[in-house]
Amino acid sequence: MNKEATGYTIVFVFIVSFAFVFLLSMTNQVTVERVELNQEIARQRAVLTAMGVDATGAEEIQAEFAKVTGDSDAGLYAGSVGGRTVYAKQFAGAGLWGTISGVLAVTSDFEEIVGLEIVEDNETPGLGGRINESWFKTQFSGERIPADGIQVRLLEGDGDEVKDNGIVDGVTGATRTSDSMESIINNELQQLRSSEVQQRLEELASSGGNA
Amino acid sequence: MSDVDTRPGAILKNNLWTNNPIFMQVLGICSALAVTNLLTNTAIMTIGVTFVTAFSSLTVSLLKRFMPRKVRMIVQTLIIAFYVIIVDIVLKAYLPEISKNLGPYVGLIITNCIIMGRAEAFAQSNAPIPSFWDGITSGLGYMGVLMLIAVFRELLGFGTLFGFQILPDSFVPWTIMVMPPSAFFLLGIIVWAGKSAMNREGATA
Repeated sequence: MNKEATGYTIVFVFIVSFAFVFLLSMTNQVTVERVELNQEIARQRAVLTAMGVDATGAEEIQAEFAKVTGDSDAGLYAGSVGGRTVYAKQFAGAGLWGTISGVLAVTSDFEEIVGLEIVEDNETPGLGGRINESWFKTQFSGERIPADGIQVRLLEGDGDEVKDNGIVDGVTGATRTSDSMESIINNELQQLRSSEVQQRLEELASSGGNA
Repeated sequence: MSDVDTRPGAILKNNLWTNNPIFMQVLGICSALAVTNLLTNTAIMTIGVTFVTAFSSLTVSLLKRFMPRKVRMIVQTLIIAFYVIIVDIVLKAYLPEISKNLGPYVGLIITNCIIMGRAEAFAQSNAPIPSFWDGITSGLGYMGVLMLIAVFRELLGFGTLFGFQILPDSFVPWTIMVMPPSAFFLLGIIVWAGKSAMNREGATA
């Protein structure tokens, strides 16, 4: 048989492509549920972390998440943490290189940030990517929200440890990412305060109380 | 190609040292810059590359008798892409954290010149088992250099190794080490050191 003949070539390429694509779809089929579960757990963990609930391991995360009432289509959640009602909202906004998504949790009176968790970002590793580090995220916890929004501060020698002023430290060497975080968070706070979202959150919180 | 020594020991030495893909052939440089700022990511990435190189060399070698010459490259690309997607799926399913950290770089393994280079230069004209071994050792040669770069970048850029704090808190991380340009400097230094060592070896032999 002539290996270089056009007919043989076409049949060969067809068979090879078919075989490999078939194997790939098999692998995909076998793992698709696991991949979806991983994504779901990652989302649940982010919501819990933002709300200040400690949970590690897939089972514990799912058990804790079951106590939170949420509307995952709207990305809104309400839960009771340490005796007070906490609201959380999933967000996505423009960072320096791509979309930054995460979860922001506030107290039910919208006076204080409970926590911030980043789910996904494409910022420069080691610079803007440091928004994933705990020092950056934990400084939002307990921060009071001023009427004109929070401020991510840059170009200041000293760190800011005051929880009442709504000022947190930005990331050195990542001015654009820090600015993005400031506008993303303020945008979210504004949305959380809108009467529509507020009403939905109150509904969720009250339905959670009865469950 | 009859001039290639296919004894396992010779292949090992060739791919790890005398013909190292990174510092002798200067292949696979893009990923050397992109993924070397954290050791864990580098380790996973280079294991992925080693796996893909080994199995695509094996597959190319197995199929070479049936492969028409004019579609050779296309079929090689198909085979490489197949293994890369397998790696991507496995990482997503079993190591979601690492998959998230590596992001688009897993998919970019397909553009790693080492893999196609080995398929063309070795697997196309050698038996399956030596081709598989050639793929593994090429991957290890790549891994060795990248891990070396990553040790310096993570230690000086974050003060950690594999995420464990090594340097004291008073150490100020070197921002440059986190950014791609530092990999250029380190790579240059490694190529220089490797080549001079090789010249000295050649002079004494």
